Amino acid sequence: MLKRKLIILGLIAIFAAPLHAEVNIDGFLQGLYGARLEEDNPTATEMPASETRLQLRAEHFGNSAEFFGRLDFVYDAADTAQYEWELREGYLKFRLGQYFDFKIGRQVLTWGTGDLVFINDVFAKDYRSFFVGRDDQYLKAPQNALRMAFYPGFGNLNFVWTPRFEPNRLPTGRKLSYYNPFVGRIVGEGYYFDPATPEAKFENGEFALRYQQQIGMMNAALYFYKGFYKNPTGAVTTPDGPMAIYPHLDVYGASVRGSILGGILWLEGGYFDSRDDKDGDNPMMPNSSMMGLFGYERQVATNLTANIQWQADAIMDYDKYEAGQTGMGAYVRDEVRHLLTSRITKLLNQELVTLSGFVFYSPTDEDMYVRASVEYKYTDQLILALGGNFFEGNNQATDFGQFDLNDNVYLKATYGF
Amino acid sequence: MKQKVFHLAIGMTVLALVILLAGVAAAQDANEIMKKSHMAYYYAGDDGVVEVNMRLIKGDKERNREFTMLRVDLEEGGNQKYYTYFKKPSDVSRMTFMVFKQSDGNDSRWIYVPAVDLVKPISADDKNSSFVGSDFTYEDVSGRHWNEDTHTLVNGKGDLGGKPVFIIESVPKDNGYKGFAKRVSYIDKSNYLPLKEEYYNDKGELIRIFTADKIEDIEGIQTVTVRSIENVKKGTRTVVEFSNIDYNVGLGEDIFTERYLKTPPRQYIK
Repeated sequence: MLKRKLIILGLIAIFAAPLHAEVNIDGFLQGLYGARLEEDNPTATEMPASETRLQLRAEHFGNSAEFFGRLDFVYDAADTAQYEWELREGYLKFRLGQYFDFKIGRQVLTWGTGDLVFINDVFAKDYRSFFVGRDDQYLKAPQNALRMAFYPGFGNLNFVWTPRFEPNRLPTGRKLSYYNPFVGRIVGEGYYFDPATPEAKFENGEFALRYQQQIGMMNAALYFYKGFYKNPTGAVTTPDGPMAIYPHLDVYGASVRGSILGGILWLEGGYFDSRDDKDGDNPMMPNSSMMGLFGYERQVATNLTANIQWQADAIMDYDKYEAGQTGMGAYVRDEVRHLLTSRITKLLNQELVTLSGFVFYSPTDEDMYVRASVEYKYTDQLILALGGNFFEGNNQATDFGQFDLNDNVYLKATYGF
Repeated sequence: MKQKVFHLAIGMTVLALVILLAGVAAAQDANEIMKKSHMAYYYAGDDGVVEVNMRLIKGDKERNREFTMLRVDLEEGGNQKYYTYFKKPSDVSRMTFMVFKQSDGNDSRWIYVPAVDLVKPISADDKNSSFVGSDFTYEDVSGRHWNEDTHTLVNGKGDLGGKPVFIIESVPKDNGYKGFAKRVSYIDKSNYLPLKEEYYNDKGELIRIFTADKIEDIEGIQTVTVRSIENVKKGTRTVVEFSNIDYNVGLGEDIFTERYLKTPPRQYIK
């Protein structure tokens, strides 16, 4: 009885809140429709995207704290559960004393210097969204976390604790097919299951740390992460056969970024310490690796911006890794994997039209992924977009090669309010 | 006869000197006027907070941009820091944007995209690119240093709509500069605010017209509260309206850092 009264009181409070002039509510309604270009794609549905999305945002500023919520309601005709909702963000923010800022709750986290390429940003990504034409903001999956930032006056220290491990969201075979190493080929929905996440224990939480400082024109940062690989890159043997798991991972890294030669330059590096396979001799677990990234961006002409990135990823104990790849049709990657990317953005017609292209190309994996879009701001409220995702690969097992059959084009209309 | 020639020579030399000196004085005057104008327009008070409404007009279509802008002057006529919090339209709401304006011309810019928690420096090479799609360029917003042009006082007794003005012609010192080839400014003699500016390209064609449409006394400082730029070539027009202007509020330099880029200072931004 008391519980019911509390619920009613709570509901009254929630709906009365907008009556206070200080609660701002806005958001958008969006329709996204995609079509696949490959007939023989084994996905469960022929629609990479077919959804209507309502995003509501609410914020309230108190005297010493503030609240922000971002709630998505989705009708998805291409999914099994047609109605879906997700709290994308729901956090409170406040300052303690002069030096500490807190952000607690469901939030999107980003750091590091790369453009759609991540080393020290070991926060959850959503590739189910990224490959089908959803807005860029959906590449980041939210995490339930506590973030503390310390600003002592000379640099700043950020600490993020995610009590429950939050994995990346990877294609399931329903809308996008993928390479299944246990089956040895590109598969549709039938083979997908959510890998078991680490048990909800304190030591299985994720800890991320960043120290950042401005040095002249350069912004330098040091990073540390303790948690798990965000993709299920490891496996354990069970009576039912091999089972994918998220292996333990520590990352140590650093970056610098700043203005130079009329553009922005960034360098980032990180060491991925695979704690479940320190010596690299367990073929069921990933080997440790060293990653490096170089990037440069500049405005090459009026309203035309371009960037290039080069990422190298060197696997440790390569001999042992190579010796372990004995399975039928196992893909043996190169010791050093190179990835080149480039983004080109052109604004036209008073910035109402945006032409955008992004290319990922790996000469060592011999695969490629191209994102292209045209966006037109018809009015301040209505934005129309047309885009495509194109994959190419010589081998089904590589990062982009596995999505080879998922080429798609999409149409998107957004009404903001 | 010889003496006559001598006197004539002296006379002409003196005359030449007078003309030369007058020319230098006029040039100095013009430079001084442009400096004063720059200070009155871009450096009012030691800092400022303002609500900005931009109307981007093309034919019968109109778009709106609403944002709050904070500014602090680190030195009068020198380095400044700008902080912008976007409110409308919906697709850019809550984004923040920061500019460190360096008087040597090497500005730095950052943007924060809250939906992905992303802080990103922007390459700020081209100051003539449009500010949020409007007819105002970045340079129009934060100012072009008066030292970058050669100024000539064309008319010291001009008149614009009944107001006495200095009419000054400015030519960029840098030949490679693309913003304009010549600018004619009409500077109000009473408060040094630019009332009108005409921009010409290298073919001598009029390309843009700036006008100060409304001037008000805000806390004792003469302020252009409505301004517009018409792009003659493109047929577009942007009208900018300032409201809730507050000068000398005591903005700390710490507001212009990543900390506040991510969490806007709510005492100024609601």
